[in-house]
Amino acid sequence: MKFNIISVCLLLCASLQAQKEAPLPKDLPPYGAQTAFQLPEVKASKLANGLTVWLVREPGVPLVSFRVIVLGGLAVDPADLQGISDLIAKALTQGTKTRTARQIAEQMQAAGGDLETSSDRDTLALATTVLSSKVDAALDILADVLQDASFPDNEVAIAKQNVSNSLRSREAGPSFQANRAMARVLFGSGPYSVIAPTQESLARMTPDELRGEFSRRFRPDRAILIAAGDFDANDITASINQSLGKWKAPAGSAPSAIARPAASTPHTITFVPRPNSVQTTLVLAGFAPLRSDPDYEPTVVANAIYGGAFSSRLILNIREDKGYTYTPGASLDTLREASYLRSRADVRNAVTGASLNEMLYELNRMATTSPSEEEITRAKRYLLGIQAVIFQSRAELTAELADLWINGLGPDGIARYNQKIAAISASDIEAVSKKYFPASRMAIVAVGDEKVIRDALQPFGFPMQPAK
Amino acid sequence: MRLMIRSCFILVLYVCSAHAQEWEAPTVMKKLSNGLTVVVSEDHSAPTFGLCIAYGIGFRLEPQGRAGFAHLFEHMMLEGTPDAPKGVLHRVIEGGGGLSRADTRYDFTEYLESGPMSVLEPALWLEADRMKTLDFSLKNLENQRNVVEEEVRINVLNQPYGSFYWLDLPEKAFDTYPNAHNFYSDFKDLDGARIEDVRIFYERYYAPNNAVLAIAGDVKPDEIFSKVEKYFAAIPSRPRTPHANVTESAQKSERRAEETDKLSQLPALAVGYRMPPRNSPDAVVGAVTGALLHNGDASVLYQTLVKQKQVATSVSGGVNWPLGNPFEYNGPTLMTSFIKYPKNVTETQLVSAYDAAIADLARTGPTRDQLERVAAKIRADWFRQLEIPIYRAFTLAHAVLFDGSFDSVYRVPDRVAKVTPEQVRDFAAKYLVPANRTVINRVPASTGKPTSSSGGGK
Repeated sequence: MKFNIISVCLLLCASLQAQKEAPLPKDLPPYGAQTAFQLPEVKASKLANGLTVWLVREPGVPLVSFRVIVLGGLAVDPADLQGISDLIAKALTQGTKTRTARQIAEQMQAAGGDLETSSDRDTLALATTVLSSKVDAALDILADVLQDASFPDNEVAIAKQNVSNSLRSREAGPSFQANRAMARVLFGSGPYSVIAPTQESLARMTPDELRGEFSRRFRPDRAILIAAGDFDANDITASINQSLGKWKAPAGSAPSAIARPAASTPHTITFVPRPNSVQTTLVLAGFAPLRSDPDYEPTVVANAIYGGAFSSRLILNIREDKGYTYTPGASLDTLREASYLRSRADVRNAVTGASLNEMLYELNRMATTSPSEEEITRAKRYLLGIQAVIFQSRAELTAELADLWINGLGPDGIARYNQKIAAISASDIEAVSKKYFPASRMAIVAVGDEKVIRDALQPFGFPMQPAK
Repeated sequence: MRLMIRSCFILVLYVCSAHAQEWEAPTVMKKLSNGLTVVVSEDHSAPTFGLCIAYGIGFRLEPQGRAGFAHLFEHMMLEGTPDAPKGVLHRVIEGGGGLSRADTRYDFTEYLESGPMSVLEPALWLEADRMKTLDFSLKNLENQRNVVEEEVRINVLNQPYGSFYWLDLPEKAFDTYPNAHNFYSDFKDLDGARIEDVRIFYERYYAPNNAVLAIAGDVKPDEIFSKVEKYFAAIPSRPRTPHANVTESAQKSERRAEETDKLSQLPALAVGYRMPPRNSPDAVVGAVTGALLHNGDASVLYQTLVKQKQVATSVSGGVNWPLGNPFEYNGPTLMTSFIKYPKNVTETQLVSAYDAAIADLARTGPTRDQLERVAAKIRADWFRQLEIPIYRAFTLAHAVLFDGSFDSVYRVPDRVAKVTPEQVRDFAAKYLVPANRTVINRVPASTGKPTSSSGGGK
């Protein structure tokens, strides 16, 4: 019964069958006037303890979505406990000083929600969507977990087992293998080089270490609570003050900021041998502008033309025209202190070299030629339209707002983004394309059969080495 | 201070009562003279829309010897028409900032568009255009046959577990062709499909009088009705094929099967119980029981198998899972449990722990508290589904396709809230019994235990 926008996007990708451009039917009605998307007003405030609160009142369906973000994810994990953030996220809801794991699950269910937790390189996060009538109950549980998660020994043992099993499954997949290798190529041994624990680091983690990391990171002055939905603004403000106003930062110091990594990467091929693989997974990545950089929005549009949208060049070329792959695409992945442009395709073994050739070609084509007006208009329309569609979901809206805060932007970031996208010109796109898209800026990772990769990619003449 | 507390209390009471009444979006329905039913639901929270056109044809009705054809046909709808050749639909929808997609399910095939309001009119034109005729060429058929086969390779053959809990389980749980064939694709059958099959299928099922068009979003019903009239009214209705008989005779004994899996790391178990028909009084009890057992960390099976006894690492499932929800099926359907378990646990240990949990439910039933929690969860899940225009549109379309009315959509939370602990207990005792179920145990090939091969046949 649960659906999400992401699955819509993925399915959409799977259904795309566009090929050469046919003229539009003569009777087809034109697009209607483009209505500017008005983001509902975000009420931003800060509690006395430093907790940032953003509220978006959206009457309608009687639901409220909550999201709490705490700064400090995988990038601040201690060196000998790499990936402990994943275990913190998994065990966070498994007990507090006054509630068992079961009570937390049951009380959330009674409010109509699941308390979902997650970790990434910059943050730890909690999210839930509950019935409007159960907002107080949900806030009470959220506040309890944020302040008093206790990481009971027996629950940590179960969580470790489950993280270990899921890691085993993930490690078997080519996409995880490629991402892990690419993070090491881009970030060396720096804070952003780790995307998950290893079985060895996981085995070393103890409940005490979880408690220690929890109290180091979970502090109101480094967190935000976002709520969107059908609520009474005064009531919810009072409830938030009551449940989270007493949250105090612990005595010790917070994790220090991540040093901005050097933004250059070798133009080499790193391969991960995957014996008997029937496909090669190709990932190309090069550093790109941070979210707060003025180059960010033009690069988003350039990427939509290159490989980030459905009628983009990369997809039309290697999927629709040549049929090399079912899953090509490109994205701009942003972290707090780094950002990179990433292209990806899983291709049949036989077209491994041909596919890399086309990917490099499309990157260089961006860097050396100008996109057509039609491509620019389509990319801009797509980016603005898709945003309105995503914001239909309050949970997605809280995620987008969280992304702004994580990257140091205010709630007006969405309106600014829309204005900037709308104003981007061909010359803006040319400038960023020249700067960020040259193929020579990209590190290449290939996961697949070693002999296939060596034979197919040797003609490019790039240095080639196995992943560390 | 005391005064303040009291006023807070009153306020809370007021809020509760304000939300105790069911939420309902303004929704209206109209039938065109050619039989096309149109449903419109207003939602002015954003200048966007969701559109679903659902045809009354799904896996169950695909012709014998053409397993997987309904899904292949769905792909043929992307190959374009004489007026709007291949690629135009996506280029127009996505180029306008929208999304489009299609789904094939047991009882319907649906085509969906979502986007800013500026794309709605072109979307209506394009959907009407492909209801008139298609580009029936052999080249298109061959192209889509390849695409579908590639899709099956990626989604089934190259995936751990190969979706056996929804592809293999119904094949073994049911006995008649409509319910018990390979829905996704039998390559042999697909290879045998001819362009004539495509034409016949289209003529038979893709008629206005076999379709429901639902639109939710920033729309005014009158404007929508007149636009739909403008683009769809000239499409002639066609003789309706009587709905085939898809009923099953009762299951008499438990069915068990073993499979091996080349790609998975952990063994897994799928259990499927046959469910009562849609709109029978037991159906809503089944929906609640399925959620009680499977929905979230508070569910009975997660708490018992994963937490308490630690004989499983994950549990998911429910009625009509994973291809739909318990309120949207129109023929023989299962309540499915999909359970992954650690290698140091045996199938027997897992099944006996599972059976103990079910037996407990059948003996004592849930507590009233437990049931209230589950009802709140189903209510919130249902609202989440109605929150997003495209989901609301398809929910309305499915209900109208099955019942001729969308009333049931807004009554779901209320019906669920009325289910009693005794009803759940009796439901478990009647339906969740071994003689009414099929169990498939699927183990990683590396452990080399069962020797029979995976998938297919019975």
